Order: sequence, then structure tokens, then C-alpha cells
Amino acid sequence: MRERVLRIGKPQPLTAIASVPKDNVSKDMAVIIVNSGVMHHIGTCRMSVRIARELANKGYLALRFDFSGIGDSVPRSGTMSFTESAASEIKEVIDYLQKKKGITRFTLMGLCSGADAIYESALLDERIDALCQIDPYCYRTTRWKINHWGSRLFDPKHWVRFMKYRLGMMHRESAGEYNEEDFELPTYVRDFPPRDEISAGLNKLFSRNLKLQALFTGEKPQLYNYEKQFEDSMPDVDFKDLFTTSYLPKCSHILSEPDQQLVVLDKISAWMEAKESSVEAADINCSGERLAVA
Amino acid sequence: MIPFFFGNSSSPLYGVYHPSEKGQADLGVVLCAPFGQEYMRSHRAMRQLASMLARAGIPVLRFDYYGTGDSAGEISESDTDRWIEDTHVAIEELKDTGNVDTVCVVGLRLGALVASYACLTRKDVEHLVLWDPVISGEAYLEELRNEIKNQISVRRTNFESSDGTLHFNGFAANENFQKSLKELDLLNTYPSSPSNVLQIVSNVNDNMSSLKQSWSSNDGYNFKHIQTSGDWNFVDSNGGILLPQPIIQAIVNQFISREAA
Repeated sequence: MRERVLRIGKPQPLTAIASVPKDNVSKDMAVIIVNSGVMHHIGTCRMSVRIARELANKGYLALRFDFSGIGDSVPRSGTMSFTESAASEIKEVIDYLQKKKGITRFTLMGLCSGADAIYESALLDERIDALCQIDPYCYRTTRWKINHWGSRLFDPKHWVRFMKYRLGMMHRESAGEYNEEDFELPTYVRDFPPRDEISAGLNKLFSRNLKLQALFTGEKPQLYNYEKQFEDSMPDVDFKDLFTTSYLPKCSHILSEPDQQLVVLDKISAWMEAKESSVEAADINCSGERLAVA
Repeated sequence: MIPFFFGNSSSPLYGVYHPSEKGQADLGVVLCAPFGQEYMRSHRAMRQLASMLARAGIPVLRFDYYGTGDSAGEISESDTDRWIEDTHVAIEELKDTGNVDTVCVVGLRLGALVASYACLTRKDVEHLVLWDPVISGEAYLEELRNEIKNQISVRRTNFESSDGTLHFNGFAANENFQKSLKELDLLNTYPSSPSNVLQIVSNVNDNMSSLKQSWSSNDGYNFKHIQTSGDWNFVDSNGGILLPQPIIQAIVNQFISREAA
């Protein structure tokens, strides 16, 4: 594996680091890892670097890049929202790799706002045939409510907290408590779209056989609290056999636990191997059919 | 802003060169980053500092040490001796790329400690800026251990494993790294080679006062306090960053006034 800096686009190029497999052969597929919030292209806890290098060592070209204005990419002038510019810049990177490297299929990876960005891009660009989302949009279900409230019903600590709160002895933690910190939080405001909108989008993606891996961390059990919640929350979606999910209750949103970093790395790596071997098998079958017809 | 790999081709370092936007300069600035989540949290601030200096006509190189950021290797294979060596490599790279003979080094937190030791053996560093410096390896490790002890809610993230590795906010310092770090102590070492040493701090705590007291008798040493809020060694659930504009501006002003003189 070796790494190269790529500068994509003019006059304000996007900065990307390509992890190139040793034999320089990456089949016809590349992996693109996008930013999460304002974190630059090495990713939270350097995980984008680790994922890219792991995949490159397995023979896949992996590229991590900064959206304009983030990390090591210069800002671009314009009036586009983040959602619009992110989709436009992902397309720009895909166009570049297709033109320069002849790559035709793309797997996109992203965490949080990055997960949202790659989903929007996949709806627009059929060259994207797989997504790996960490903490994508999610929706509550009846089982979520049972898990959430059931565990509290018989927990005396919960009732003590509840009573203290009602008696004014406790305050809810508010964003204002962090005002002492000189934070610059991502300007992207994460609003979950209506469930039906996501449901329709997923049906569109699965109808063209896009493969999707969704990893949910345990950061917000108030939103997600069991493995199959995503599928349960989308009863109208035909997931076929294209969807893989994992719930990682011991993992934080920024993947800061060393053991969970390995779990995430393993899950992504295993999913990549499985989906690419199925693509190869399908190619062989197609070739066989063609030979039989001929 | 020109990103590139430099140094040994078998273990390249990642750097971003910010060329002078006002023609040829006679000095350049190398930025030395902090460790772990502090590096993540300060990336934007370092980029902004570099951009502002470049706009003022001073070429800048910021870079990642071996085993960090986009540079080759893993942190488990690295130590502060290697980081000091990397700083030398970065200084030489800037002298070549920027065509400058004189260099200034700005280090933030652990980067300040590393930068100070790199400057001990050089004659071409004119100015050293220590921004919220870690005053010794021992003090830094103690800071991490205290945080680990007091942050029970994040014990899956922040802990000391049985092999002695300190895990902190998603990054790790193994025993070898800690051993090399413990060798570094600014209270007993003054980098006298640079003609000017500026200690610039956002918060005057015991460590900052001790260093000031220890160094104040040295010619060329200056201390500046610019109060800004925020803790470098902190992480929130979104990976928020810290951008203390007044200090960034003060460092830029320091170099602009030097250029004017």
C-alpha cells in the first residue's frame, strides 16, 4: 500500500489522500470516505486513515477527501447549502476517478453528516453501488419504546431521578452549559427527514441493487436501542438481501473506544469482502450465461 | 495551500505548505501539532494560523508526525524522539521549499515541548513560540492520568490497559511513547538557540506560572497571556473544535511586527 495526495478540481481544488493497493490493481471499484462535521479527512480518532489503509491492503483503492472549506480543502465561493455542495463535490471526485482511473463503481462511507451526504449522493448518482453509513438517520419503533420505557419502569434510580426533577432538585442538561467552551460546532444542522421520504429513497436505491451497511453506535439510546430497529422502522422498504446492520451499544458516536474501533474496522472490512466477492460471483455467472448463449 | 508527502519515502510525512502570498520572504514558520484528540481539535486553528501568516507574506509548513494524521505508521510505532527528528525534517523541508534560511517554530501543547527540544540543537531557528505549552512529559502524563481517574463515565475510552498503554479520547500512548515523553522537561531545559522565545498562554495555571518563573531570567524570553476559554484536552460527542481567534491573531502580529522591524 502506498499513499498519494490528489488535488481534484480547479481553481479551488479539493484535497484527497488516495491509499493505493500495492499491486496498483483495484478492480473496477473505489471507496470514497467523506468528512463528518468539521473533522478533517483523517476522520474521528484517525479512523478514516485506518479504514482506508486496511481496505487498500485488501486490494481496494480508498480515497478520503475534504469538502471545500473543511480540513485541507480551500473554501469555494457560492451560494449552495452544505447538502448541495457536498453532493456536487462527491460527484466531482467520482468523475475524476472515473476519468483518470477508469473506475465505474463506487462505495461511499460516512459518519453522521457524512452518512447523510453519501445517502443524498447515492440517490442522484447510479455509479454509487454501495454505502457504509455510521449513525445514519433513524426512527423510533414500538419495540424501541418498550425497550426504553420498560427498562426504566422497574429501575428505582430512574424514579429517584424523576422525582428529583419534578421537585426541581435537578436541571436538564442544556446546550447552554457548554457555552464556556469556545466551540465551533459544525454549521450543518441535522434534521431527520420524514420517515416516508427515507423509505421511498431506500426503495429507489435497493431497486437498483445498491448494497447498504448501517452501523449504529450506542451514543444515543434515546434514538436507537436495538439491532433491527432500522428495518423495523421501515416496514415499506424491500431490503432484499442488500442490507447489513449492526448495533454497537458500547461504541460512542466518535468511535473513541479502542476495542470498538477494532469492531468497526472488522465489520466494514468483512462487509467489503462479502459484497465484492458477491459482485465477482455475479460477474462469473454473467460470463457463463453469455458463453452458454453464444 | 499545497498538501504533499515529504521526508523518507519509506515512511513519508504528510505536510501542507502555505506559500507566501507576498513574494519571497526571508523566514518561514513551521507549526508543530499537539497529540491525540488535541490534534483533531486544533487542526482548524493551525490551518487558520498558517493561512494568516501566508497572507502576511510568511511561508508556513504544518505537518503530521510519524504515526499521526496522514503520515505513515501507527502511533504505537512512534515516540517523541521520532517526533523531534520529524520536526528537524520539516524545518529542512521548509527551508528548501520556501527558499528561506531562517525559520521560526510555533508549537501547540505537546507540539511546543517537541519544538523546544528540536530547537536545542539548531542554529537556524530565530524565533520559538510555545502556545499553551506542555511543560514536561511527566506533567502531561499526570494530566492524562488525572483525567482518567476523574472521568468514570468514559472509562471504556479513557483508561490504562494492563500493558501500561494510556488510552485517552480515542488515541493511545504506549509505554515506549511514555518513556520517551518522560525525558522531556522544559523546567530544566531552556532552548537558548532561538534569539526570541515567546510563551503565549490562554489560561495562567500553575504549570504556566512555573515555566514563566523558570525561564524569566533568560534574554529573549517573553510571556504573553491572552485569556480565551476552552480546554484543548477535551472532547465532546460531536468532535467539536477550538478556535481561539485572539491568540491566533496575537501570534500572527508577533511575526508581522518582526517582519516590519
